[in-house]
Amino acid sequence: MSRDRGRSTAEWTTFAASCVVLLVVVGLIVVQMFGTSTSPAPVAEIRMPYRVEAGAFHVDVAVTNRGDETAANVQVSATLEIDGEETTADQTIDFLAGHATQHLVFVFADDPGGGTLTVSVTGYSLP
Amino acid sequence: MTRTEVGGADPGLRLDGAGYCGAVTRSLDASLPVSAGPWRTELVEVVRAVSGGLLFGVPLLYTMEVWWIGSHTEPGQMLVVLAMSTVPVFLLNLTAGFRSRSDVRLRDAAADTAEAVAIGLVVTALVLVMLREITLESPPVEALGKVLYEAMPFCLGIALATHLLRGGRIQPDDEESTGEDESSGKPDDRLGLPATVADLGATAVGATFICLSIAATDEVPMLAAAMSPEWLLVVVAASLAVSYAIVFVADFSKQQQRHAHQGIFQRPLSETVAAYLLSLVIAAVLLWFFQRGLTPWSDGLGRVIVLGFPATIGGAAGRLAI
Repeated sequence: MSRDRGRSTAEWTTFAASCVVLLVVVGLIVVQMFGTSTSPAPVAEIRMPYRVEAGAFHVDVAVTNRGDETAANVQVSATLEIDGEETTADQTIDFLAGHATQHLVFVFADDPGGGTLTVSVTGYSLP
Repeated sequence: MTRTEVGGADPGLRLDGAGYCGAVTRSLDASLPVSAGPWRTELVEVVRAVSGGLLFGVPLLYTMEVWWIGSHTEPGQMLVVLAMSTVPVFLLNLTAGFRSRSDVRLRDAAADTAEAVAIGLVVTALVLVMLREITLESPPVEALGKVLYEAMPFCLGIALATHLLRGGRIQPDDEESTGEDESSGKPDDRLGLPATVADLGATAVGATFICLSIAATDEVPMLAAAMSPEWLLVVVAASLAVSYAIVFVADFSKQQQRHAHQGIFQRPLSETVAAYLLSLVIAAVLLWFFQRGLTPWSDGLGRVIVLGFPATIGGAAGRLAI
């Protein structure tokens, strides 16, 4: 059957809903094109409290990119210092989109509460 | 431009003088009830579009590199991707498309293109939400990039829905038996096999074909690990719904015959459930085959269910192909 008799009301409804979807998508893209975007700014924060699993201390760390652009290969380092002795652990996040948050877990044999624990982002690349 | 389809003489056929080479053409609305209203017809056509998109787009949904690329795409690049999804869909709508009626005018093809791309974007977003690749915490820019890239094969699948799937099984030498089967409701035994065995075999082959390229990857355990039991139930429900829609609603091929088949596994709901269980078995076997780990059982179950989604879609396509 050819379409020369015109579209039904149901087809027009689908078409109208489709146009709304496409307009929203294109609108979101255009807003981003002409909006200002800031450089990547990943920041690591410790989420309390620590957890003890199988005799080890698990530390939840949230890494948030406070910039608008994506950061790649985000290097995150955690250092636990107890009585002058340092234990360091590193992890890498492949991609961290703007304003996205990635949750990491660092595992230490010693209680972080008995020393000083610092987490930091040590570097990233621009994709 | 008029779409034609070679067929034999049955009540669903008509002569179309404007068709290619003057061939006998088959009304693609033949399997819908005559009294089907425009809203029901439209619903079936949208379901057909979704089904076609899933059949073609699901492998790319399980590719983490595409998620990453989508998450750091510039807005200008997004517009290019959207255009790249739109142009081939428009060209395909001139000859195929997802609607039972062909597009005579360019503006109809353009309207169908807008609908195909929009449906592709919405369904892609829903599947990515189901797979937990888009969550409430996802930045809008990241989510949009992922959807745009993943929707490309989806849109192509929608535009090819009727061309490759609906008419694929209608061959000139099939027509006589087709008519008999539809009238008598006898099982399809063209292959010399009971219909149930043929369906289960086709399900296994289709599920294996789709999942071979997915089961060995890291995406399956990664996706399963991010899912709670509640989300796994959502995946199970979605798998069953998609399987039923592709085979029994989308009106792709011999749907009326399938509704008329006899036997415990030849009713729509029981066939859908049986095919899903078989797809889960195929998924488990492939995960074991590629040493992706099925223990502990809770992790293994999650992986099987996650891989079961594309397996079910492949299985449904397999049943349409026989």
